[in-house]
Amino acid sequence: MTNYTPSEIMITSSARALAGERVVFVGVGLPNIACNLAQRTVAPDLELVYESGVFGARPARLPLSIGDPTLISRATLACPMPDLFMYYLQGGRIEVAFLGVAQIDRFGNINTTVIGDYQRPKVRLPGSGGACEIAIHAKKVFIITHLARRTFVEQLHFCTSPGHLSGQPGERAAWDMPGTGPQLVVTDKAIFHFDQETGEMVLFSIHPGVTVEEVQAEVSWPLKIAAELQITEPPTDEELRIIREELDPGGMYL
Amino acid sequence: MTKLSTLAEAVASIPSGAHVALSGFAITRCNMAFAREVIRQGIRRLTVSQCVGAMDADMLAGAGAVERIIYGGGSLDRFGRLNCVNRGIEEGTLVAEEYSSLSLAFRYLAGALGLPFIPIRSLRGSDILKRLQELAPAEIGYVDDPFTGDNWLVLKPLIPDVAVVQVQVADEGGNAWIMGPRWDNEEQVKASKRTIVITEHLVPTEVIRREPERTLIPGFRVSHVVHLPFAAHPTSVYRAYDYDAEHIRHYAEATKTPEGFQKYLDKYVYGVQDHWGYLELVGGLKHLNNLIADPILGY
Repeated sequence: MTNYTPSEIMITSSARALAGERVVFVGVGLPNIACNLAQRTVAPDLELVYESGVFGARPARLPLSIGDPTLISRATLACPMPDLFMYYLQGGRIEVAFLGVAQIDRFGNINTTVIGDYQRPKVRLPGSGGACEIAIHAKKVFIITHLARRTFVEQLHFCTSPGHLSGQPGERAAWDMPGTGPQLVVTDKAIFHFDQETGEMVLFSIHPGVTVEEVQAEVSWPLKIAAELQITEPPTDEELRIIREELDPGGMYL
Repeated sequence: MTKLSTLAEAVASIPSGAHVALSGFAITRCNMAFAREVIRQGIRRLTVSQCVGAMDADMLAGAGAVERIIYGGGSLDRFGRLNCVNRGIEEGTLVAEEYSSLSLAFRYLAGALGLPFIPIRSLRGSDILKRLQELAPAEIGYVDDPFTGDNWLVLKPLIPDVAVVQVQVADEGGNAWIMGPRWDNEEQVKASKRTIVITEHLVPTEVIRREPERTLIPGFRVSHVVHLPFAAHPTSVYRAYDYDAEHIRHYAEATKTPEGFQKYLDKYVYGVQDHWGYLELVGGLKHLNNLIADPILGY
């Protein structure tokens, strides 16, 4: 077996989660690589949708921005961003959306706005963009992020995009949120699911060579662990070849 | 009727204190030449709005031309943050009315439709809404749905004084085509009282008439047409030119400190007479030629 990096198994695990999916809302960076890998492997018919108003993208280079012209060249549709949100996202036509996070709590609520106080933060982040409405409307939300204690926090500094809120059953429905919220968190060390009852993040799978203790050390709350904890399938040679030769040859993201 | 103007004339039509909707999106189709001219003319106290905060807003904010930014967050994507916008917020010189992309697009849409408010399902359950309730309570409200009795969050229409839009093709009457992704630009134009079009190519109206289905901005909504190549440099314009990665990196670095940004302004904004001087300064025809879009790829 070829050696692989923690980032690479994060990408292959994310891509495999898209098996059988049809329409995915993609962000630049890691989600872009994961979704493009899925299209070349487990989900050849996957429709990649980008916030700037692009359907069916076939990016020929690694996009550096959601507005990157490479997303439009050879795409199947360009539309106004509001169309995409109004007709497709609000219309319930987006099956999966990938979101990145700066902070995430145990119920999958997401912060991408500030670290620290809003007015005088330690770091001001890019904010919502479409993330808030995506978190509310997409049928399922997948999250991809490196596992770190500063990311997996007890208390968000700002809730940009609601997940399972405070974990009360029916809470999303009470807010009239059409989507089912976060269903999956893929990291460089482990994969998490969410308890269907409590909305709480549950350790589902650890990557080969990683211990539960190492995962817990990077999470700020006492982790729930699945009854039958899995070991993640490592990347295949073909997946690694696609990532290294086609998707991120310059090592920009990985 | 010709609306052809110089950049200086078009910019001079905007009074200090106006609300300007900007067409940029992170590092794409930003109104950079426009921003540089606004700064040179010393226009102040602007409100700027755009769904995804971009380099045009950042430069204007850094130069002290902006009092309020209405946006859905933003960045220079892989090149970095909106350092000037962020610094303005943190130093209290800039008021940030922060939405999400859809909620701001809906405010433009309500403005465009002439409706008194628009219901929205987004924002609820987020701190974005909590903060808006504190900062801009007059822009949001709640109404009961007369059909179901459900209580809905509603947003007030947004009607900018002027939309400034970077396009690829326009005629002198202001009929304009935007190629590639166009994010919230159509809603901005439809909501705004008037529009300034900055175009890469100026074409005879006959060209527009041959493919009227491509027209996204009708001329009658346009007050000025400015024909200015590379007006979005260093950001990209699909089918015209790619972004100038080196220059954006330089900007991202320079804007990390007020002193660095002042040096940048002194060189690239105050240090040149006009857009042509700027284009020479950043490398002239030889450099710009390398950015011209490949006809197949479009960048």
